[in-house]
Amino acid sequence: MKTLKISRGFNLNVAEQPDLNCAHLALPSSLGCCAGDIPHIRPKLLVKEGQRVKTGDALFTDKRDTTIEYVSPGTGLVEKVLYGHRRRLMEVVIATESEDEYVEYDPVDLDGITGMPRDALVTVLKKGGLWQGLRQFPALDFADPEHSPALIIVVMDGNDLFSPRPEIILEDNIIAFEAGMAILRRFSNKLAVVCRESSLEGIREQGSSVADQITHAAPDIYPAWHPGAVLYQIKQQVAENSAWCIRLDHLVMMGRFLLSGRYPVEKIVTITRPGEQRPHMQVRQGMPLSALIGEMPGNSIVTTGRFNGRVLEKDAHIGFFENTVNIIEAGPEEEMFGFARPGLNKPTVSSTFLSSLFIRRPANMDCSLHGEARACINCSYCERICPNDLMPSFIMKSLHAGELEDALALGLMDCCRCGLCSFACPSKIELTQILSDAMDAYYKDKQ
Amino acid sequence: MKNPLKKFFDDTKPLFTGDGKYKKYEPVWDATKTFFFLPSQRIRVMPFVRDHLDLKRYMSIVILALLPVTFFGIYNTGYQVGIGAGESWPVTQCFLVGAWYVLPIIIVSYAVGFAWEFLFAVMRGHNISEGFLVTGLLFPLTLPPTIPLWQVALGISFGVVIGKEVFGGTGRNILNPALTGRAFLFFSYPVSMSGDVWVAGKHLVDGVTGATALSVTGAGGQSITAALGDAGYSLGQLFTGFVPGSVGETSALCCLIGAVILMVTRIANYRVIIGGIAGLVITSVIVYLIPGGRESWSNAGPLYHLCAGGFLFGISFMATDPVSAPGTNPGRWIFGAAIGFLTVIIRVGNPAFMEGVMLAILFMNVFAPLLDHLVLKYKSSKRIPNV
Repeated sequence: MKTLKISRGFNLNVAEQPDLNCAHLALPSSLGCCAGDIPHIRPKLLVKEGQRVKTGDALFTDKRDTTIEYVSPGTGLVEKVLYGHRRRLMEVVIATESEDEYVEYDPVDLDGITGMPRDALVTVLKKGGLWQGLRQFPALDFADPEHSPALIIVVMDGNDLFSPRPEIILEDNIIAFEAGMAILRRFSNKLAVVCRESSLEGIREQGSSVADQITHAAPDIYPAWHPGAVLYQIKQQVAENSAWCIRLDHLVMMGRFLLSGRYPVEKIVTITRPGEQRPHMQVRQGMPLSALIGEMPGNSIVTTGRFNGRVLEKDAHIGFFENTVNIIEAGPEEEMFGFARPGLNKPTVSSTFLSSLFIRRPANMDCSLHGEARACINCSYCERICPNDLMPSFIMKSLHAGELEDALALGLMDCCRCGLCSFACPSKIELTQILSDAMDAYYKDKQ
Repeated sequence: MKNPLKKFFDDTKPLFTGDGKYKKYEPVWDATKTFFFLPSQRIRVMPFVRDHLDLKRYMSIVILALLPVTFFGIYNTGYQVGIGAGESWPVTQCFLVGAWYVLPIIIVSYAVGFAWEFLFAVMRGHNISEGFLVTGLLFPLTLPPTIPLWQVALGISFGVVIGKEVFGGTGRNILNPALTGRAFLFFSYPVSMSGDVWVAGKHLVDGVTGATALSVTGAGGQSITAALGDAGYSLGQLFTGFVPGSVGETSALCCLIGAVILMVTRIANYRVIIGGIAGLVITSVIVYLIPGGRESWSNAGPLYHLCAGGFLFGISFMATDPVSAPGTNPGRWIFGAAIGFLTVIIRVGNPAFMEGVMLAILFMNVFAPLLDHLVLKYKSSKRIPNV
């Protein structure tokens, strides 16, 4: 096992680590299938309000590839279809029945996966609503089945600091993991399995075959375990720019789906909130937020990843790619002479507050901007924190000047959208958003 | 109980925002309000947590680092006036007299500079950037305490308008605005800027006239160090700063304290400062080793070059201005080293402009984008292409 050498990133002490117990939540009265969190999708609705669907029935598809299906996480009537800005499909909400009725497929065993024709494997995964778990760099769109990736990265940890721990996802799912790995081996013979150093111990304790398959350990500095950061560290040739990646929970889902012939509806999520330590929760796919966190705390926002998730409104449902819910409270009111205070309680990655000089106390992260937008002053704080050795300020300036070629030469497409440049910017420039939008626009243009 | 100041801003908010009567002046209102109250907007785009460091804090640290220099400058001004008067004054008197000279310069600099900032912000309809907080203090510190106030006003106007605002404001300027203003005064009014700085006593009592350390040369075969010693510029005095000169630049010690504050808080990039000092030391040693020029500054050696004049002030506070310095780390090393090199070369090669550091920094400011360009080119070539 190799250890990735990533020293740049976010390593403040945030004390919201979830408990390692796992609680089960009951089936809620509604489940949602979310389109809002799926990158690049152009959704096409396949059902109508009032129509009854089974667990695993297709609800919508992607106009760019209509063989990819997004399936229902529960059985019941389609209660409503929610649209967002410019009538973009956001969610299909199912009013659940207490008993699940599954769309059944033929179960396949481990040998069957190895023996199955590649096309048949792709088709069944697409039908089962799981192919989209495999993402393709650089834009993290769904994997192109025609493409033979030079590398597939399996990440054991999620997008947030406190995404579910792999040992809890792997509990009772070791065979599914093996099946998932067998699927991946059909597509590439180079697999990189990456795990956070802090998660390694838990996986080793399980005493399963998983620990031996981990190829890289990532330091506990956010975002060292992100697929984009991992790819940047380990890639050696141009062909690996279009590598694939998949997260552990999706890999396990694929394995379970093939082994059982049913859409796997369970999911592990974590809920973090300052000052609280909630257990991991085993819930259904498409769980409504209200069932997860109860009453929405006032004056706060709920996100699916504090650095790179999306904001959840109170009636939202958790999407396919989301397994962390952060409750981020608002900061203190406008402080008088806030800029001149010593700042013992102000977590920062800079060294300009007293909090950075002493022992790092647990940082209380809030959802305030802590300042106002200003012009870039070239301070290089973004460069200093970027895990992929980008210079976000220079890329941003190239983009504003319309010099896309320069931005690309500076490594725009290597951006892993971890959000740290925006986090650190003292001028409060939305660097991540600017870079991310440019990546998407370029990707769309090239298609 | 609501803070009365907060109440005032809440009450006046409708006048200055939205459809308010004085909507045009929103930047002025906003700048005043955010000076008192740290803005805390809710984040709506990712990432949803942000660092506490903002530009106000950033610039406040520079002000903090400038405080030792400022206070010492005020004290030293009074002290020099005392010497000019032929007396040795107690500390408080030195401070008071020094403040009498220096405070008006600082006040004029801030008032005139902020007037321009407000004007441009209102015209352009954007918020006022904090950059001027630093410029407004840096500029007076580079001036001799005897400078007429109208020249201060003219200099800061030139620095802010031509040095910064015509390029689009803070963040877009090519040259350091404070140094641009100083260079303008230096070339326009050389009499009040250089040479016989200490005519201060003239206004107060009959005082002595002395030249700044850099204009000293050994005459008749006398070595430069001996000549400096005769003129009252021993190395110890140049280091502590009890010598005539521009307000902020005399004390190498206070400049170093400021530099350490800036480097520890990582507000200034240490590469510029260390690179600059290294460049100066190496160049002055080389120049020292070249035979001849016993009586000129070429024979002064690194310590005198370091402590005399405004080099440490310039490299700590002016060259580290992130906007006009390069934005890449290798670029910063080269930038700093080149400033050190040019400072010595100008001092030695062109005694007409004794204060080499100002010209060296401005010169390198112009080349900073080129340095960045080369570094970016090189860095891009090292990446695995991803297009």
